[in-house]
Amino acid sequence: MLKKTLFAVLVLVTNTAFAEEAIIEGNVQSKCVINIDTNGVYGNPTPDKLSTDSADGGVQPSIRYDVALADYYIARIITPTSFSTSPTLSDVVNWTGTSSVGEVSDAGMSAYDVSKVVYDSTTEFDLTVAGSTWFSVTSEATYGYGKAFPGGTYRAVVIAECIAK
Amino acid sequence: MTRFLLVMSFLLLATPVVAHELTPTYPKINPAYVDGLLVAQLSIFNARKDVDYYEIGVFDKDWKPIPFATTTKILNVPYTGKINFEVYFRKEDQRRAVYVCTLSKLRSDEDSYAIVSSKVCSRLDGEPS
Repeated sequence: MLKKTLFAVLVLVTNTAFAEEAIIEGNVQSKCVINIDTNGVYGNPTPDKLSTDSADGGVQPSIRYDVALADYYIARIITPTSFSTSPTLSDVVNWTGTSSVGEVSDAGMSAYDVSKVVYDSTTEFDLTVAGSTWFSVTSEATYGYGKAFPGGTYRAVVIAECIAK
Repeated sequence: MTRFLLVMSFLLLATPVVAHELTPTYPKINPAYVDGLLVAQLSIFNARKDVDYYEIGVFDKDWKPIPFATTTKILNVPYTGKINFEVYFRKEDQRRAVYVCTLSKLRSDEDSYAIVSSKVCSRLDGEPS
């Protein structure tokens, strides 16, 4: 009996289990991520018009802003006022553009459209709710007074900014 | 429910990741090893396949540029790459320097279809109280 007990004690002593804790740490800090979900394409519904509107055969750029914490950032979207690439143009190009809220990850973000600030070609949205907001951008360019755009490649740049408050 | 999750998974997998991130939002300002200079450490993450370069800028509250120094003002950040960088500016500009920004640089060649340029700005004057 003593032999058995001693053997059991030895087994227990030599097989001591050492447990270590694996610690997982996380830190949620304010940050803004700009995601370009769709780059956008100009449609050419009439000879004098280029438009990203789907009704005009274009594709609207879609920009997603992800903010980790509420009320830390302002989204600023600037629609184009000139082409970055185009054939030589001899007449004036008239530009219009709008930015509006598309999809939202939180119902509270729907109010962004009401409280947005618009000046020149810039639209500012105060990102007061944490989560993802998709913004749709329309851009339209008309050439001269009913003049046809010359053939070639046209490209204009939308600037999506995320500014810390 | 399973079907919904499957559809969502496919949608998420099919959506390309095209993101630009700059952290921290309020970088700490420390004295640099050179007398009269301050330094802020930041980190940029590029998940935009259509962008390889980002331009760093430091601005005052009215968006006027402020002189600064970095190892390179145009950063080459590969796709899904994260780069830490330091921005040095003069002690005398500490009160004026408000924003430090990274702006994506788009290529103008025929192969590039990017028409959205992204700019993310952190604040050098600290978290608002």
